[in-house]
Amino acid sequence: MDSYAGNVLRVDLSESKHTIEDLDEDLARDFIGGRGLGSKIVVDEVDPNVDPFDEDNKLIFAVGPLTGSGVPTGGRYMVITKSPLTGTITNANSGGHFGPEMKGAGYDMIIFEGKSPEPVYLFIEDDKIEIRSARELWGKTIHQTCELIKGQFESPWEAQQYRIACIGPAGEKLVRMACIANDDRVAGRSGVGAVMGSKNLKALVVKGTKGVSLHNKDQFKETLKGVMDKIKASPVTSEFAPTFGTSGSVPLFNESGVLPAYNFRQGVFKSAEKISGQTIAETILIGREGCYACPIHCGRVTKVEEDNYKGQGKGPEYETLALLGSNCGIDNLSAIAKANYICNDLGIDTMSAGGTIATAMELFDKGVISEKEVGFTLNFGSAEAMVKAVEMMGLREGFGDILAEGGYRIAEKYGHPEVFMGVKKQEFAGYDPRACKGMGLQFATCNRGACHIRGAVYIPELYGIPEKIDPLTTEGKAGWTKIFQDFTAIVDSAGMCMFTFLAIWKDEMRAMLNDTTGAGYTMEEMMRVGERIWNLERLFNLDAGFSKVDDTLPKRILEEPAPEGPAKGHVCELDKMLTEYYQLRGWDENGVPTKEKLSELNL
Amino acid sequence: MMKIKIEPEKCTGCRYCEVVCSLQHYDSVSSKNARIHVFPDDTNQMYFPITAGPYTDAQCTCKRMITVGGKEVDACVLCPASCPARPVFMEPGTEIPLKCDLCGEPPDPLCVKYCTSGALSIVEI
Repeated sequence: MDSYAGNVLRVDLSESKHTIEDLDEDLARDFIGGRGLGSKIVVDEVDPNVDPFDEDNKLIFAVGPLTGSGVPTGGRYMVITKSPLTGTITNANSGGHFGPEMKGAGYDMIIFEGKSPEPVYLFIEDDKIEIRSARELWGKTIHQTCELIKGQFESPWEAQQYRIACIGPAGEKLVRMACIANDDRVAGRSGVGAVMGSKNLKALVVKGTKGVSLHNKDQFKETLKGVMDKIKASPVTSEFAPTFGTSGSVPLFNESGVLPAYNFRQGVFKSAEKISGQTIAETILIGREGCYACPIHCGRVTKVEEDNYKGQGKGPEYETLALLGSNCGIDNLSAIAKANYICNDLGIDTMSAGGTIATAMELFDKGVISEKEVGFTLNFGSAEAMVKAVEMMGLREGFGDILAEGGYRIAEKYGHPEVFMGVKKQEFAGYDPRACKGMGLQFATCNRGACHIRGAVYIPELYGIPEKIDPLTTEGKAGWTKIFQDFTAIVDSAGMCMFTFLAIWKDEMRAMLNDTTGAGYTMEEMMRVGERIWNLERLFNLDAGFSKVDDTLPKRILEEPAPEGPAKGHVCELDKMLTEYYQLRGWDENGVPTKEKLSELNL
Repeated sequence: MMKIKIEPEKCTGCRYCEVVCSLQHYDSVSSKNARIHVFPDDTNQMYFPITAGPYTDAQCTCKRMITVGGKEVDACVLCPASCPARPVFMEPGTEIPLKCDLCGEPPDPLCVKYCTSGALSIVEI
């Protein structure tokens, strides 16, 4: 099929060998690419009960047919593996410029197997593939690693031709929320960087000069024109996101009672305006940045002059502001930006970092964790303590060694599992499910634990796109959750960013896929691919020991009414939505896909 | 005469111009065969989209700095020429030097149409 590179690179790190296989076109048609194809490999080749840090776990980098094809936001790659944070199958994706480079080198997927006896990095220049020693790079931060690699080239012109994806010290030290970084963007959630570290794989350095073939170029150019007209016409993708980034949502989400504060004890934060995108634009913002082929440019470049928090870098985005900010009771924008820069350099997910620190703060508040144990006062609102905790977590220093295990394991360790705010051991994203109930169902059912992006029901609930729905009711939420989950699986597998949902929807997606690949999907077939991927991931998790009891939310969200804001008095009535959701999915009352459903999906 | 006006301070480095340039000129899409490239200037935290000019087979001897919007920029970054010291704008495989053709006559460059940052515009000079 057109638009695929056609090759799968398999790297055996234990033996320091590689092989190249042809892409299976039937599988590509059934799973599109990226997340779908990568999940298929994990399900077929990884024992669901394997320890994620065992050498038998596999780490897959995958791009989709739309990666590098010229579609807007078509620059993403996906990392798929078994997560050391959740124990589920997981996938994390990133923008920047790495994905198109990998595809340009000629690979739809790179599958890492085994474990290297010593630190290595993978060097790719089209057909040239080398596993090189990373002894000099081990222990280095993400920015140091990139500098050292770029410094090996003869000229800056040459260095610019290569793209790097790497881990920082956090990945090396198996911090359970370690990310993989490229171009200052990250494949952030669920600890994919720690799996990379467990394999002694420090980086991928790639240059690709091959092009992406298109099935029907003239038709594709017409489709693109229509897609771009929609992106330019939407106030969200043409004005709001470019001007304020995702951080511009802080005021709206706070007014909606969704912005978590004090470890989800509240959904309203008194000094929200101090940490909003609008304040960022007036204070620390020095530029904005776009990922490859992105017309939206939501990336923030900021600079902090304040003495204690001096620095420059990317972010903070909404999730970082919510989780390292309001959820820790912190309204010091400089400190949040600084913590973000540290996360970017050590290689940790800002969201799980924030959720974990808030868990520890609540335990500190309750007197369960002492000052002596932490080494300093770790109370809500202490910006200095939060920044220090982030650094210690990324390096596993002192109390950071405990923080590096994530919120769930800390709460368990200290005998207070109820203070962990997340699902399947992954910390919540920045949405209080009592004030946007569809997000409660999404968090509870997502295959990689609490996650906002693999079924972003907050888009209709809070932005009113594609239509406005009431965030405070449970009605219809099962249907919305299912459709967002299935459609996102398609977008993730194609290689695009889900931000395009803010302007385009299924028709455009189908046209782009068919114009580039020639697969000729009907709408029904395309949507079935999304559903197939979702069910496939679910099957892996069931085999890994997950069941209906794991599709739940913390007691605080289910039983304690929100104390203020528009959701005052509300809890998240999950049960009702969950039953309806299982029915819509064609699963039995225990959340297991029925035989009929599986045969309908060819699974 | 029409010309592409470049305002680098507006560029966000997304390189959409590169990929649509390739889409316009090739059946197989790749930034590497584009006639416009976005060059990062790490020192100034800026991006410079530069359209491909004529090829020169000799390296120039003058190294100089140019002031752009109050910032000192290496003139080599801004040069539209391919040269032995800076072999950019070469078609991979054939190594044929590429040159911007403004997408035909009358000029209707696709890079300008897909640039949403405002860094590229087409002007009469």
